[in-house]
Amino acid sequence: MKHIKLISTAFLVLMASCGPTSKLTKTQAYGGIYNEKPLTVLIMPPINRSTNVEAKEFFHTTLNVPIINAGYYVVPPFLSMEILKRESAYDSELFIDKPSLTIFKEIFGADMTLFTIINKWDKSSIGSKVTVDIEYIVKSTTSNETIYSRKGTVIYNTSVSGSGNIFLDIAGSLINTAAAKYVDVARACNEYTFSDFPAGLYSPKYNLDGAEMSGLKSFKVRLPK
Amino acid sequence: MKNYIYMLVIAVALSSCGSSKKLYSWNKYEKASYNYLKKADEKSTNKIIKEYKKIINEQKGIRKSIPPGMCADYGFLLIQKGNKAEGIANLKKEIALYPESKVFIDRILKLIEE
Repeated sequence: MKHIKLISTAFLVLMASCGPTSKLTKTQAYGGIYNEKPLTVLIMPPINRSTNVEAKEFFHTTLNVPIINAGYYVVPPFLSMEILKRESAYDSELFIDKPSLTIFKEIFGADMTLFTIINKWDKSSIGSKVTVDIEYIVKSTTSNETIYSRKGTVIYNTSVSGSGNIFLDIAGSLINTAAAKYVDVARACNEYTFSDFPAGLYSPKYNLDGAEMSGLKSFKVRLPK
Repeated sequence: MKNYIYMLVIAVALSSCGSSKKLYSWNKYEKASYNYLKKADEKSTNKIIKEYKKIINEQKGIRKSIPPGMCADYGFLLIQKGNKAEGIANLKKEIALYPESKVFIDRILKLIEE
């Protein structure tokens, strides 16, 4: 009985700490990653189809951290940006549907390229919500196949903790929404999405997480939770 | 049997995506990166240099190692500021830490020498 309680508790901890999962294990959902065992990731400049001109930069400067934290080598973002600009390759639209991405293996040593498409970045005019529609597509530079993809709507609440004064709270929300809080929005989108990314070589979970459940391919989430 | 169950419980707990301890510590790197990308003025440059130094010298993540890309981007910034020798040393340190970076960093070193 005691054992059953322990297992149930562990199960509840697991369920409470993760987002909703799909019915596929990570090995089933992201077989290409487990087969190819890629290590090096090149972050391509995000494709911004939203009306917020700065959304590209919010994402570009926050994408490397969750992937590095998953155990991968990410090509240095500022250096790679410089070279992509120098080679007139800063527009990811030119490459996302290309039949071959081997050029990125030759120049950057990249095993994978990460494309992001920001479809929507809307902030509510009053209040403290930012709604982001975003797609993440990881392609192998060896097989050119998509080996990871997730698409989601993130509703991010940028409000500050309540002061007890509703007028101060509204003012605080406006200031926060208008300021550098947007970096937090992008970071939250990236961290949530890549929370199910298979562990890379530098992670203690490398090759041990294949039986874990993958996240939903298409999701809608309110953050922070 | 009892031990097996306890191990299973621990494994499940460890494998949960809620584990808070990260491989690396980042301080305010992301905000500093954004400000540097947008402004690239003296203030934002000094701020990101401060963050690089913290990440490189005061790692608190579970790997206790400098995260990928940090020495290279820091070195690149030093070169842009005119400190070529220290910049190149940091680029070479990136290769020593992460041999998979050699293809790319060697290309950068060649460009610097030209």
